[in-house]
Amino acid sequence: MSEEKQHIVSYKEHFGTWAGLIILTIMTVAVSVANASLLTLTVVTALTIATTKAILVAYWYMHLKFEKKIYRIMLGIVMLLFVNFMLLTIIDYSTR
Amino acid sequence: MTHLVLPNSGHNRDPEANKMGMWLFLFTEILLFGGLFIVYFVYRSINSDAFLHASYQLNVTIGTINTIILITSSMTVAMSITALQKGNLKLSLILLWITQIFALAFLVNKYFEWGAKIDHGIFPGMAHYAEMASGEKLYFFLYFFMTGLHAVHIIIGGIFIAVVMKKMKEGKVTSERISLLENSGLYWHLVDLIWIYLFPLFYLIH
Repeated sequence: MSEEKQHIVSYKEHFGTWAGLIILTIMTVAVSVANASLLTLTVVTALTIATTKAILVAYWYMHLKFEKKIYRIMLGIVMLLFVNFMLLTIIDYSTR
Repeated sequence: MTHLVLPNSGHNRDPEANKMGMWLFLFTEILLFGGLFIVYFVYRSINSDAFLHASYQLNVTIGTINTIILITSSMTVAMSITALQKGNLKLSLILLWITQIFALAFLVNKYFEWGAKIDHGIFPGMAHYAEMASGEKLYFFLYFFMTGLHAVHIIIGGIFIAVVMKKMKEGKVTSERISLLENSGLYWHLVDLIWIYLFPLFYLIH
């Protein structure tokens, strides 16, 4: 009954994801350590790179890319909820 | 009263529901850590100088090594799912063993990292910690709490994977009944995801 065709992610794709994650990790560390005096790693840059890595992990390692659309919608709702919490907290603190 | 007999297909399992249940659980985990990240951002914005000063006391090298360990272990879990889907039980188990070794390596690194801090008296309640500025105290409190909670997740993930490995050997998890392996994989990837945010926020932002 449940034997729908399941997408099998190839070893090559997993290795590619790994390579991408390693490159992004090296990027953040390099910006933080080597160029500490020239370029500072701001919260925004760090979060942008971290989020890129998170999307790579979620889409390939966690198979989100190949799942039904409902999973992406659910994750989107949770993310919206979290961004809401964040924004409300920021608004609260910045208007005190 | 007549008995209502429900039609039964013969096997009472539903891989889609298994997966969706796991994702719903992961959402609660995201919000658990999400709340802590909000606390971090609020205290960082109030004590930015103290947080900056305190962050230089963390060892970036160990942090980077642990990041690479977790990314690689995530890959081996993902590959073990691919291996079992293709019917290669042996390779799948080997890849899970490698994952377990990486998990252990991560915890050993964590042990030395925390040990060095505790030797210097930097732990809530210790002498050096008590003399710190209040902003630095907040930083280290959050550091120990958040990385500690994350380490607990590593231990749980390791146990979860060990249980799955046992069931794979017993033939209870196979390429047709792969849900449990997939769910342990999802949990492990979430642990990796959380570290992806913890690492730059505590170690790298100077």
